[in-house]
Amino acid sequence: MKKLITFGIVLPVFVALVTLSCSTDTHEDLPGVEIFQATPYNIPQARFFPKNLNIPSDNPMTLEGVELGRYLFYDGRLSGNSSNDMLMSCATCHIQEHGFEVGIDHPKFTGGRTFGLPTEDHPNGKPTPNFMLPLVNSVYNHNGFLWNGFVNEGNEQLGTATIPDKPEFNFKNIESLVWMSITSSHEMNSTIEKSVAAIQAVPMYKGKFKAAFGDEEINYDRISKAIAQFVRSIVAQNSKFHKYLRQEAELTSLEKRGHDLFFSEDADCFHCHGGSVLMTTNEYFNNAKDKKFDPADRDRHAISGDPMDIGAYRAPSLINIEKTAPYMHDGRFKTLDEVIDFYSEGLVYSDYVHPLMKNVRQQGVQLNDADKAALKAFLLTLTDHEMLKSPQYTCPDELKVWSGQ
Amino acid sequence: MKKILIYLVMPVFILLFAQCKKSEDPASAKKTGALVLKFEHFADNASLAFDTLHYVNAAGNTYEVSEIQWFVSDVVLTKADGSKVELDNNNFAHYIDTNLPETAIWKINNEVPAGEYAAITFVFGIKGEKNMPFMFTDPPKSDMLWPSNLGGEQGGYHYMKLNGFWRNSAGEREPFNFHLGVGQTRDADGKVTGFVQNWFESTLQGPVNIQANQTNTLGIRMNVEQWWEQPHVYDHNTIGGKIMQNQQAMQMGVENGRNVFSLVQHAEDPVL
Repeated sequence: MKKLITFGIVLPVFVALVTLSCSTDTHEDLPGVEIFQATPYNIPQARFFPKNLNIPSDNPMTLEGVELGRYLFYDGRLSGNSSNDMLMSCATCHIQEHGFEVGIDHPKFTGGRTFGLPTEDHPNGKPTPNFMLPLVNSVYNHNGFLWNGFVNEGNEQLGTATIPDKPEFNFKNIESLVWMSITSSHEMNSTIEKSVAAIQAVPMYKGKFKAAFGDEEINYDRISKAIAQFVRSIVAQNSKFHKYLRQEAELTSLEKRGHDLFFSEDADCFHCHGGSVLMTTNEYFNNAKDKKFDPADRDRHAISGDPMDIGAYRAPSLINIEKTAPYMHDGRFKTLDEVIDFYSEGLVYSDYVHPLMKNVRQQGVQLNDADKAALKAFLLTLTDHEMLKSPQYTCPDELKVWSGQ
Repeated sequence: MKKILIYLVMPVFILLFAQCKKSEDPASAKKTGALVLKFEHFADNASLAFDTLHYVNAAGNTYEVSEIQWFVSDVVLTKADGSKVELDNNNFAHYIDTNLPETAIWKINNEVPAGEYAAITFVFGIKGEKNMPFMFTDPPKSDMLWPSNLGGEQGGYHYMKLNGFWRNSAGEREPFNFHLGVGQTRDADGKVTGFVQNWFESTLQGPVNIQANQTNTLGIRMNVEQWWEQPHVYDHNTIGGKIMQNQQAMQMGVENGRNVFSLVQHAEDPVL
């Protein structure tokens, strides 16, 4: 009878349970197979910051991945070189104390003008086409990367003249920026094979790749993913302005006056730079700098094809703005004072100017000296001193001789 | 033995029923239909052509429109007997951006009681008590921020940004930002003394027929030239290119705005 119960009733019922169950979620445990799982890394969720993060599903952030990415970010051997005078890492130009820009006072990149490793054609290095953008809060950006948004999710281009047109060599996200930097003649000026081999030759990386990805294999895909994870981890959420919004700090009367100018049509900065705590909309604007435009200048029009985007470039984040001189895509302004003067009385009309530049016919917003001083005081509250010094973003001790800084 | 069998089998069947979603009894199902709102932007009775300086407003200003970004919220259907159906569907405000074509479609509610309604009402912008600063943290909605120094604690976001150009009295093409949101009252020195809620309700007469078990599409059309036509003739040459700190100009826009919208019955559903 027991058998009857077991095989005649209970078993069929359980079979029915399994086959007819409404749940479609099934999990299979494979005995003896170790499933790799790194430790999830969570972006700190500060008040008022976006919740929608730009983290690709095939590259979830993990503590181990971010840490590996930090090492690779600071390793000049990523350029495929090992001699001291030829090392170039991401951090050669992306310097933490400058909001991960190069800054205007760099001893080698004079005035903030960066250039690549030497070539036969350019023994002193090929100049980069535009000046730098900061690598801060990029995890919140869904609207493309670089000054004109060339790297974006909708970009279907594959490969370059020196890179095969394979799906992994796309131009869609931060991962793409890694191999673009490696191969670009005005940056590391290397090849993927050479760079991967150089990293493979460093013994310490085997364990770090295993911790991040489950085994010791070192390849291009993992290198770019790890560095992208580290870049996404760089967030600035603790400037005085952010703390003021969270009622953790007070602005001085001068800073508050500047705040009210910034967030009004008197100085009218906020329509492009202040829609959120990111201090940028990540949109593209022709901001009335020029009357004539060169198609070779890599503007937004080169990407969108829209005539209204001629002369348009990304509105960069103003977080850490005091540390990221020179300003504009071509670095034409050396100081914040010059920038404020430009928006006050230096605008020039063209048929492509964005309508948000509504004071263009008056040459600008016409601020007096007191207003300019107040506006500058407010801009200085946008510096996140904690981020600029945070150990989680600094060069690992063992890489200081290899960083190419 | 029978008891053992019952005790063994019953829990299993209970488990089975508990896991399975109950199938609905067709006879007891509500008769409802889905409602989709489709937003259109017109000028001079035709679909708005962007970036062309050829429209002329009531004041005689030649103008062009570059982009329109705006919020619609608190949509309500009203029957002839006065009864109302709120359609917020847990997403009370919808953002429309002419740079983002997908925002022209709002699948507002999947279970609207079927029947004939006399009118549809919506709020242009966002009511003050709901318009909290920083309630939207993600772009593009967050980019509609209306600063608290201009809007207070109940003026967190623009109702609308309508950006374009007009040919000014000197014959130059000049930008304008027709931005509506919370206004300010000011003292003689220009210091802000209070805030003015400028959102308004727009009621469009139907009939609006909601067919059961169908997706019903309604068009809501913004007739752009009406922002500057009646009862106030709005002259860009007089008012200038910016109005966020000019309550008198915003008031004109708000009063003209009551004539801006019209209802369009669509024969075909949009591609969703």
